[in-house]
Amino acid sequence: MLSIIFYFQVHQPYRLTHYNVLDIGKDTELFDEQLNREVMQKVAQKCYLPTNKLLLDLIKRFDGKFKVAFSITGTAIEQFKAYSPETLESFQALVETGHVELMGETYFHSLTSLYDSNEFLDQIAMHRELMQNEFGYYTTTFRNTELIYQDRISDLVYEYEGFKTMVTEGVDRILKWRSPLYAYKNYNKRINLLLKYYKLSDDIAFRFSNREWPEYPLTVDKFVSWVDKLTLSEKQERNQFLNLFMDYETFGEHQWAESGIFDFLEKLPEAILKHDHLGFIHPKDAAKLSNYQQEAISFPEPVSWADEQRDTTAWLGNDMQLNAQETLAEILYKVKAKGDEQLLRTLRIMTTSDHFYYMCTKYFQDGDVHKYFSPYDSPDQAYIYYINALAGLEERLLR
Amino acid sequence: MRVLMFTWEFPPLIAGGLGMACYGMVKALLKLGVEVDLVLPTKELIYMPLRKVEDVDLLPTVFLDPIKQHEFKSKVFETREEKFEFIGISGIPETYAQLSLSDNDHSKRLREYWDSEIRDIDEKKLWQAMSDNLVGEEDIIRKVQIFTERAKRFASELKFDIIHAHDWLTYPAGMIARRISGKPMVAHIHATEFDRAGGPGDERVHKIEHAGMTYADRVIAVSQYTAQMIMSRYQIDSGKICIVHNAFTIPEDAVLHKERIFTGPVILFLGRITLQKGPEYFLEMAKRVLDKHPDARFIMAGTGDMGRQMLRDSAAKRLKNKFLFTGFLNRKEVERIIRASDIYVLPSISEPFGISPLEAMAYGITSIISKQSGVSEVVHNAFKIDYWDVDLWVETISHLIENPEKCAKLGYDGMKEVHLIQWDDAAETIKKVYEEKCSPVKAKTKKGED
Repeated sequence: MLSIIFYFQVHQPYRLTHYNVLDIGKDTELFDEQLNREVMQKVAQKCYLPTNKLLLDLIKRFDGKFKVAFSITGTAIEQFKAYSPETLESFQALVETGHVELMGETYFHSLTSLYDSNEFLDQIAMHRELMQNEFGYYTTTFRNTELIYQDRISDLVYEYEGFKTMVTEGVDRILKWRSPLYAYKNYNKRINLLLKYYKLSDDIAFRFSNREWPEYPLTVDKFVSWVDKLTLSEKQERNQFLNLFMDYETFGEHQWAESGIFDFLEKLPEAILKHDHLGFIHPKDAAKLSNYQQEAISFPEPVSWADEQRDTTAWLGNDMQLNAQETLAEILYKVKAKGDEQLLRTLRIMTTSDHFYYMCTKYFQDGDVHKYFSPYDSPDQAYIYYINALAGLEERLLR
Repeated sequence: MRVLMFTWEFPPLIAGGLGMACYGMVKALLKLGVEVDLVLPTKELIYMPLRKVEDVDLLPTVFLDPIKQHEFKSKVFETREEKFEFIGISGIPETYAQLSLSDNDHSKRLREYWDSEIRDIDEKKLWQAMSDNLVGEEDIIRKVQIFTERAKRFASELKFDIIHAHDWLTYPAGMIARRISGKPMVAHIHATEFDRAGGPGDERVHKIEHAGMTYADRVIAVSQYTAQMIMSRYQIDSGKICIVHNAFTIPEDAVLHKERIFTGPVILFLGRITLQKGPEYFLEMAKRVLDKHPDARFIMAGTGDMGRQMLRDSAAKRLKNKFLFTGFLNRKEVERIIRASDIYVLPSISEPFGISPLEAMAYGITSIISKQSGVSEVVHNAFKIDYWDVDLWVETISHLIENPEKCAKLGYDGMKEVHLIQWDDAAETIKKVYEEKCSPVKAKTKKGED
C-alpha cells in the first residue's frame, strides 16, 4: 500500500516599501500596501480561488478518499482578510469537509528556529491559536519555514508544543541508502518524520510546464505509472508514503492555467484511486499506518527544501543576510525588553523569511528562482531597504 | 572681453563637481562683465553665448549651421527643460553626436594638420603627443575626438579674446582653437588623472594633460596641492601656473537649520563612492568608532563604482543598521542629509579641490578633511588629517562625539568662514589672468625687470 500525502504551502509576505534613509523618522509606511494588495488579489484569482474550488469538488466527488493538507501562514491569513476575504472563506469551506489537515508553523513564516528559540516557540503558539480561531482546528503536524529541520528543532517542537509529526525535505546526503518513502522518527524517537519525495514533487512544482524537460508533457497516466513503479521495490508489504510537498501557488501561479496544471490535478485522484494499493492520507495518519519499526534519523545540521544544496544559505548565506538577521535579532530583543507591543508586531513581520530570500546572491541556476520571486531589482537593493527599515524601527524604539 | 570656454560639464548637463564649479565661475565672470561663449559636448553643433548673469540658467543657444539655427529660432518651447531636451543637454550626454568617425582617421587628420601647418619643432612634438594619444575604442575617447573636431569651426567662426579649457577632455579642443585663432589659451585643471585613478591611471590621458598644459599660455590650478602635482608630475613651468581656489555659493532657497533623523550622532560621507574619495577609509573608521560609540550612525551618500563593494563590506564587518546607504540624491535631498548630520568627513586619497566640504560647512556641519585635498588650504575651522591616518580620524570623530558643544561651536565658526568664500573673488582673479593677455614670457620679463 502506498499513500500519497499532499501538503501545500500557502504563504504571502508583507513586502517592504522602497524605504530610504530620508524616510527614517517620518511616518512613512514600512510595507507596500498597494503591492501587497495587488499580489494577493492576483494570486487569489489565478490560484487560491480556482484551486480551492477544484479541491472542494474533488473531495466531495471521491467522498473523502482524496485528501490534502495545508500549512497557511499568519501573514497570508491576515492578507486574505484585508484584501481577499472570499479566499479565506473558501479555505474554511475546505477545512469544514473534514478531509483537510491543517499543519502548524510559525505565524510569520520566519527563520527564528535558527536564531531565537523563544521567539520561534511564541510564533508557533500564535499560529496554533490562529488555526483554532479561524478554522476551529487543532494542529498536530508541524512544518517549519521552508522545511528547515534539524535535530534540535524537533526537540523544541516536541517538548514545548507537543506536535506528533514533523515534515521536512528528503535530503540525499542525510538519507544516503534509505528511501524517503517510509515513515521515520526523529533522532531520539519522540516525533514522527515524513520526508518530501523531491523528484516527483518537483516534477509537478517546477518542471510541469518546462518544454526543455525530456518528460514534457507530464500526463496523469505517466505520473501514475511512476507512482505505481515505486511500490515494486517494497517486497515485505510495508506501507509506503509518497510525500508530495509544494507551494500551493504551483497551481495557476507558478504553473499557469494554460499549462494544463488544473487538468492534471483534476484527473489525478481518479487515476490513483483506480488502483487498490494506492490512496491518499493526511500527514497525521502516517504513523498509525506504519506497520514497521520506524527508524530514527538524525539531522545534525539544518536542512531545507531550497536550491540544490538543500541548506539554509538561500536565506542566511551571505554577509548581507547575516548582518540583517543579527541586527533584527538584536532589535527584537530590545523591543521585547521594552514591552512595546506595536513595535513587536512590526518586527515580527520583519522576521518573515522572504525578506532574506530577496537578498540572496546565489545568482546562477537557483538565482533565477530567487529573481522571479523578488520585488526588487537586486539583492543589494533589498538589503538596503531592509536595513534602513531596521534603522527606522530602532529610532522609533529610542523615542 | 569675451571667452571661448570649453567644458565637459555644466548644469543641467551633468552637475558633478566640474559642472558646479563652472557654473559658479561663469556666473561670477558674467557679473564682472566678461562674456562667455560656452561649448559643451552636446548632441547638436551649438554654443551658448552668455552675456548677462541670467544667461547662466537660461542658456541661450546658437546653432552653427544657419539652416538649423533658423529652424531653432522659429521653434517655440513651452519650458526651459523642453529646450534643453531639444538641444540634447537634459542629462548625461549618452546620445552625444554621431560616432561615425574612426579614430584612425581622426589621428591621421590631426597628424596631417600639424605636419603641414606647424614649423616649430617643440610645438610639433606637443601636437604629436596629443593626436597620438587621443586614440582608443572607448566611448569617452571617441566623444573627445568629435568634440575636438568641432573646435575648428568654433575657433574660426566665433569672435573671442581668449580660450578657456577645463580638464583634459577639452584640452585638445582648446589647443586646436588656439592654433587656428592665435588667441591665448588658459588650461584649467580641476583634477589630474593621478587624482581620478588614485594611482598612475591612463597613460594616454597623462600625455594629453601634459600637452594641453604645456601648450596653454596660462594654467589655472584649483589649489596649491594641484599646482604642486602639475609641477612635479607634469613638469609644468611654475611661472605659468596661477592658483584659483574654488568657492561655494549657497543657493538662495537653502534651509540651514538642523533637522535630525537620528537620535545619535551622524557622520556623513557625501560624494562619488570611488577609490579617489577614500570610501574604504570611511568604512574602517566607522567600524572603529562604532566599537566605542554604538549609538553613532554612519551614512554613505551618493553612488559610484565602489558602491556595491562598500555595501557588501559593511555587511561583512557586521556594522548592523549603523552604516547606511542613501543611493543617488538630488539637490534637495543632499540638503536634507547634510542638515541631518553632525560631522562631515572627506577622507579623499587625492582631492584637487573638493567642493562638498564647503557645502557641508555652509550648513554649519563640522568637517574633517583629508590633508591630501585642495579645500584644506582655504578653510581654517575644520580638522585636517592625512587620509591614511585612520587612528587619528577615529580619535577625532570620537572626540567630537564626546564633546558635542565643541563640535557645534566649530561647525558654527566654519559656517561663518565658508559664507565668505565666494565665487566673486575667484572670478576677479580669473579675470586678471585673462587681462594679462596670458603672455607668460612678458609677465616673467616684467618680474625680472622689477
